[in-house]
Amino acid sequence: MSRAALSLREVTVPGRLHPVSMELPPGLVVGLVGPNGSGKSTLLAVSAGLLPGVGREQNDVRWNGQAVATIPALDRGRRASWTPAEARFEFGFTVRSVVAQGRYAHGDDGAGVEEALARLDLVALAERPVNRLSGGERQRVLLARALATAAPLQLWDEPLAPLDPRHGLEVLSLARSLSRAGGTVVFSLHDLRLAQELDFVVLLEGGRLRAAGAPAEVLTPKRVRAVFGVESCLRPSLCLSLP
Amino acid sequence: MRAFGKTRFIRHSGLALVLAGVALLVFALASLTWGDVRLGPGQLVDGLLGRDEFAATILWQIRLPRLLTGMLVGAALSGSGLVMQVYFNNSLASPGLLGVSAGSAAGAVVAIGSGLATFTLLTVPIFAIAGALAATFGVILLARRGASTERLLLAGVAINALLGAVTSYVLSAPTVSYERNAQLVFWLIGGLEDRTWEHIWMAAPIVPAVLLLLPMGRSMDLLSLGATEAQSLGVDVPRLRRNLLGLSTILTALATAVAGTVGFVGLIVPHILRLLVGSEHRRLVPLSLIGGAAFVVGCDLLGRCAGGARLGVVTSLVGAPFFLWLLRRAER
Repeated sequence: MSRAALSLREVTVPGRLHPVSMELPPGLVVGLVGPNGSGKSTLLAVSAGLLPGVGREQNDVRWNGQAVATIPALDRGRRASWTPAEARFEFGFTVRSVVAQGRYAHGDDGAGVEEALARLDLVALAERPVNRLSGGERQRVLLARALATAAPLQLWDEPLAPLDPRHGLEVLSLARSLSRAGGTVVFSLHDLRLAQELDFVVLLEGGRLRAAGAPAEVLTPKRVRAVFGVESCLRPSLCLSLP
Repeated sequence: MRAFGKTRFIRHSGLALVLAGVALLVFALASLTWGDVRLGPGQLVDGLLGRDEFAATILWQIRLPRLLTGMLVGAALSGSGLVMQVYFNNSLASPGLLGVSAGSAAGAVVAIGSGLATFTLLTVPIFAIAGALAATFGVILLARRGASTERLLLAGVAINALLGAVTSYVLSAPTVSYERNAQLVFWLIGGLEDRTWEHIWMAAPIVPAVLLLLPMGRSMDLLSLGATEAQSLGVDVPRLRRNLLGLSTILTALATAVAGTVGFVGLIVPHILRLLVGSEHRRLVPLSLIGGAAFVVGCDLLGRCAGGARLGVVTSLVGAPFFLWLLRRAER
């Protein structure tokens, strides 16, 4: 299927990722799960075209069937967006100007910025310097910048980890609305209960792809015990959602 | 650095540019009229237009070359410092501290000391660029991008010592004549005395280099908030880094080739401007160029008022205490 929003064929990163192949159709919210050090961040970075192959070997990563290695840097900025797990800002740019950086590849610095600020609840912080924000606020700035790129493929490294429950749910609902609009959102997370709610789950272990598919098929109690070393079962519990 | 989180004093970038421009204009006019022979406004205009032969000689032979050299040197050193700070992701990086100025000086000293400089106008700048490139690669070998401040400054100390030794060797070599030695020492201290139109032609490539730098502000902004992020947002990071490093090295080399070693400009000017207008390079790049020119012309004026203290002496006297203050601030 060449129409896959993201496809990886035998992608290898020495010491971190053993040959991984997978195809993600467009319009999905995809959760990337796995124990610490299982290669989630590496998989996201390589999917974003940020880790080129070693030597002559080009990692075969494709967006919409097109090999990423053949896409010019500027086009990549319009087609996929990646956010790191931890945001470190050395310089005191304002929140608004950092979000406007998402428009670099489009050659403007206005379109969609205000909407992105509003969507991530950053309007009140728009003029604050980014190096004075809390970890969760910095993460929201990164996500707002990713949103401002308007890229159809969004790759987020543990976006929910530093967020409070309310903002976490808002980001999740943002991911869902992006996927409904035809985009593909892939993000890593540690909350298996939340992963259970997503469209698609990719399970990594030790740099290898263990399983990929619908959450109920991937996160079986047997596999969760084998990979994470924890028991799991389904039963009614506290459910949080936006009012 | 935490210091950059401070509120900006000037929010409007147009205002900051106008202020810097006005400062440069005032210093430039003062630089043209002050001196052993004071020129009034009327004499200045007549002299520039060639209607007053005496004033014209002073202006066109002495003061204009001095002013233009100063402006080119200031813009080049300040722009070079700003670029290095982005490249190394460290706000204390600058041509003087990293030894790039010393490399240019060593190259130029070899060119002058060996007598090669007498053949063609281009020899000194070419040797200066070669020396600056050697210093730049040395720093990159010793301290990678994003290295800690200590590591970066220690690398600078080592490079400065090594290239200083090259300069000292040339100065002490018995083959160098006494006259040439005097010329070398005079030049090494850094100054704008006796600059001619030849020197301006020598430094002329600063103008295209600076023009290339102007549109790079936005990509510098992205790079300064993380290389991987910048790459994912569409910046061709390896290419940008090559360009930045090449431009900053050439700017420092050309400035040093015509004015000797003038320290601290690339550190002080971008720093003060960052405190005034914030960290956005789209604003900082043009401001640093104009501000650097104004700073150097101003320091030169200060030296002339203080009985002929040379430019390199003045910038060091102003810059070294400022640098110590910055280090203290960074520690807190």
